[in-house]
Amino acid sequence: MGRFRRMLARSLNLVFRRRAERELAREVASHLALIQEDHERGGMSPEQARLAARREFGPVEQTKERHRAERSFPWIEQGLQDLRYGFRGLVRNPGFTAVAALALALGIGVNATLFSVYDAVALKPLPVANPDRVVRIERWFSSGFRGDMQYGFSNPEYLYLRDWSSAFENVVAATWPVPVRVGYGEETSRASLVFVSEDYFVALGVAPRLGRTFGSGEDPESVVLSYPFWQRRFHGDAQAVGSRIGIRHEVFRIIGVAPAEFTGTSTMPLVPDLWAPLAAVREILPGRDWLHAEDQRKLQLLARLKPSAATRSAQAQADTLIRNFTAALRPPDPTIAVTITPTSLFGSSDDSRFRLFVAALLFVTGLVLLVACANVANMLLARGAGRREEIGLRMSLGASRGRVVRQLLTESVLLACLGGTGGLLLSVWGSTLLWVSIEQILAGFFGEVPAFAIGLRPDARVLVYAFAVSLATAFAFGLAPALRSSRFDLDGDLKGARQLGASPIRRSRLRGRLIALQTAVSMTLLVSAGLLLRGLLRSEAASPGFASRRVLLVSADLGDDAAQSPVRERRLIERLEALPEIGGSTLGSAPMSGTWTPPIVIEGPNSLRAESTGRTLASYASDTYFRTLGIALLQGRGFTREEAASGAPVAVIRESTAHRFWPGLNPLGRRFKLDRRFRGHYTEYEVAGVAADARFANLTRIDPAHVYLPTTAGHVYPLLVRTAASPRESLEAIRKAVAGSDQDLLPSLSLQTLEDGPVRVQRALARYCAIYCAVLAFLALILAGVGIYGVLAYLVSRRIPEIGIRCALGATSFQILRETLGDGLRPALFGLAGGMLGAFGVCWALRMTLVLPGSSDFFYGVPFYDPATLSIVAAVALLVAGAAVAGPAWRAPRLDPMEALRRE
Amino acid sequence: MDRIRLLQGTLDLMVLRTLATMGPQHSYGIAGRLKQVSGEALDLNQGTLYPALVRLEQQGWIKGSWAKTESNREAKYYAITKTGRRALGQETEQWRRLAGLVEKLLAEEP
Repeated sequence: MGRFRRMLARSLNLVFRRRAERELAREVASHLALIQEDHERGGMSPEQARLAARREFGPVEQTKERHRAERSFPWIEQGLQDLRYGFRGLVRNPGFTAVAALALALGIGVNATLFSVYDAVALKPLPVANPDRVVRIERWFSSGFRGDMQYGFSNPEYLYLRDWSSAFENVVAATWPVPVRVGYGEETSRASLVFVSEDYFVALGVAPRLGRTFGSGEDPESVVLSYPFWQRRFHGDAQAVGSRIGIRHEVFRIIGVAPAEFTGTSTMPLVPDLWAPLAAVREILPGRDWLHAEDQRKLQLLARLKPSAATRSAQAQADTLIRNFTAALRPPDPTIAVTITPTSLFGSSDDSRFRLFVAALLFVTGLVLLVACANVANMLLARGAGRREEIGLRMSLGASRGRVVRQLLTESVLLACLGGTGGLLLSVWGSTLLWVSIEQILAGFFGEVPAFAIGLRPDARVLVYAFAVSLATAFAFGLAPALRSSRFDLDGDLKGARQLGASPIRRSRLRGRLIALQTAVSMTLLVSAGLLLRGLLRSEAASPGFASRRVLLVSADLGDDAAQSPVRERRLIERLEALPEIGGSTLGSAPMSGTWTPPIVIEGPNSLRAESTGRTLASYASDTYFRTLGIALLQGRGFTREEAASGAPVAVIRESTAHRFWPGLNPLGRRFKLDRRFRGHYTEYEVAGVAADARFANLTRIDPAHVYLPTTAGHVYPLLVRTAASPRESLEAIRKAVAGSDQDLLPSLSLQTLEDGPVRVQRALARYCAIYCAVLAFLALILAGVGIYGVLAYLVSRRIPEIGIRCALGATSFQILRETLGDGLRPALFGLAGGMLGAFGVCWALRMTLVLPGSSDFFYGVPFYDPATLSIVAAVALLVAGAAVAGPAWRAPRLDPMEALRRE
Repeated sequence: MDRIRLLQGTLDLMVLRTLATMGPQHSYGIAGRLKQVSGEALDLNQGTLYPALVRLEQQGWIKGSWAKTESNREAKYYAITKTGRRALGQETEQWRRLAGLVEKLLAEEP
């Protein structure tokens, strides 16, 4: 009871500190007065009595301090006191505070921006009820293939799992979005539709915004609209529910509208326009047997764990069920395991490549934060040197070193929080910008800017992250200066550390190192950005090596029937070739649309090395391929019509490939073996021709190794068409032709020149990489410049007396100028050299990623020792360092010696 | 003779006892009383009382209020409360047992 009362009283005293303090002072004063009175009565003079009273009472301040320690919680009380003190300190030096907070705001802002994008993509949960209990089911193939297909399950598999598992409350299924045309007659437009199991909305706990969602035994001719589609097409009219909508000549009834926050559950966060029950596949996609065929893996599965079920046992159950079910079917690529993963908005966020990418970005933004920290640390250090007298005074009055360090750190934390708040504001703005650029890139992939389900409103996670980063930076930049400033000998510092010769601020190794570190990091970023920018210039100029502007990639959903679709494709070609706007067409691999790099073996006496293995890019080409794409044949011949129909064992290779595998020899007639399915079964090919070099896998470099194999009749390949008229006219003509003959291909028909599609994506990637790096490098450089300037200006101002005396004693202006310049430039030069090494490391790391012939080279073949880039960057960095040093150095020798001395 | 060092916690007991026997006292009065009882043997700055006073007051065992002395000076008088008296009883018992134990142990020495 007494203990509780005491806690309460101590806590109250935190709040009523002043009152308690007044009371204490009053009590001590009255106590002293009483003793004094007694002594005076005993015959002492008032003065003697006063001193005696003091002696008897003991040390007043210490008593008060011990009283305070009992009265309240001294740690908290001191913390509050430190806060007040620190706050006053910051307000007193508005210039310092502003520059330091701004530096931190930039550093933290860049990091928070990246984190908020990462958060929006990978950490946001699915928009369903209790998302932490909802898992995604994923399969692992024996070939190790990872793409999107590991999320696909057939309807029979789904039903089996749903009916036999006991660990899940329910299992729901949804297809990938399917393109459809909605509306009537001429008034149709494209929309994306997702087929879902009947219990989809109910099991996920998604309540409709309007109307209702699907129930069991649902009429297959009913659809639910997504919120954005409802807004776009019906302008948010509530009358839409209950009305009818045409999908592929069939009439469907709109039964409800999903809520705005429900953005779908697909692995890509794209909001579909419509949802229909699985049974509607029959009407919307006639001829597709998605409901019964065991090899049509069209469904993504989500499951809700039972409250009692452990993830591990649920996974074991799903694994056993699915594998037992598929084992009997003997699929070509068997499933070796089934796992369940927690769901997030972006389905592939646990992908190792995605993680690597994020880690790399975090590293780069971390570097900027590092510069900001070094910067502020240096400013604090310089300021600490100026505050030695103040700190000395506090310590001689009884403050322990720990107490002083704590007080200085409190100031740092305050500063960091100020910076963090600014950084958060910056990141709100920055992430919007970043998002716009990401959308641009994605638009290249999808042909149009799709409705993304991603909102970039900073949430609690971003706030916590920014706060944690701020705290961490407070220690990163505050600890060393605090320790340094509080370590000194009391005597010397109080007596006047500014005496000549004894100046402790003249040269500080830590300070020099911090300047060097800042310069080095900014230099690393600058060189990387410079190389990326050079790469960007090259990418703008780079010609892909084929007629990208005149070749259209025609794609349409030809159906799932393996026997029928090649026939339909053949029919489509014939129709297109009849058009006057078309100058030829071909089947074969489309450039820059994914890579296939099988192992290749060159053997026999013909090759230089007796036997060498490696990887090569490979793709398919038909007889008209090289003519259609405008790729010149330098030697030998292309494929004949017969070869292109039978998949004959001949190949056309690239010039680069010939040089690589048969240097200095005539490649025609040579043989190589290819392991096309990565199974160790090699097929032999004979080289029939050599084609001119091109940038086929990506725009960044000439493919180092690339072979073309002939197509085989009866398979489906991408359809490429060469335009004879302007691309626009050709597009129109093709669309009209398809509408006239193959109505059902229209919804999925996609037409794009290679330049507008894959090539544009490549150029955009190069552009945003370079811009991203350049912005960061610019920030780092500005920070470093401001840092060097701030520190040096401060040092010069502290050395005014010394400089004054030296001038009075006859030192020339030039000597002083040179010395000041040296003080600032020496560490900057070290930093420059270090930065070169850092840049070398970055380039080396990026070059290490070029393991496959299809890998992208972000520098577009610019070597890291590129003299132009290095010299420009070094010049820029020196210029900034020089500008930062020049101001203070210029002022130093112009100080009036008398004025300087008078200050002492 | 060396001065007596104060054992942890004993000051609280002494203050309580002083207030219980002498009625309300200001801190100077308490200090004087302790000095008188100990015959100058207690190593005590008067200020040493302050932490004990605030502790006891926060526990609710004593209560302080401002009043005038005979010489018409203001001073903070502390009085023992009802819970304070109960606590004093317990603490006294505790102390006697401890002291007895220590005494017994020391007496056993050959």
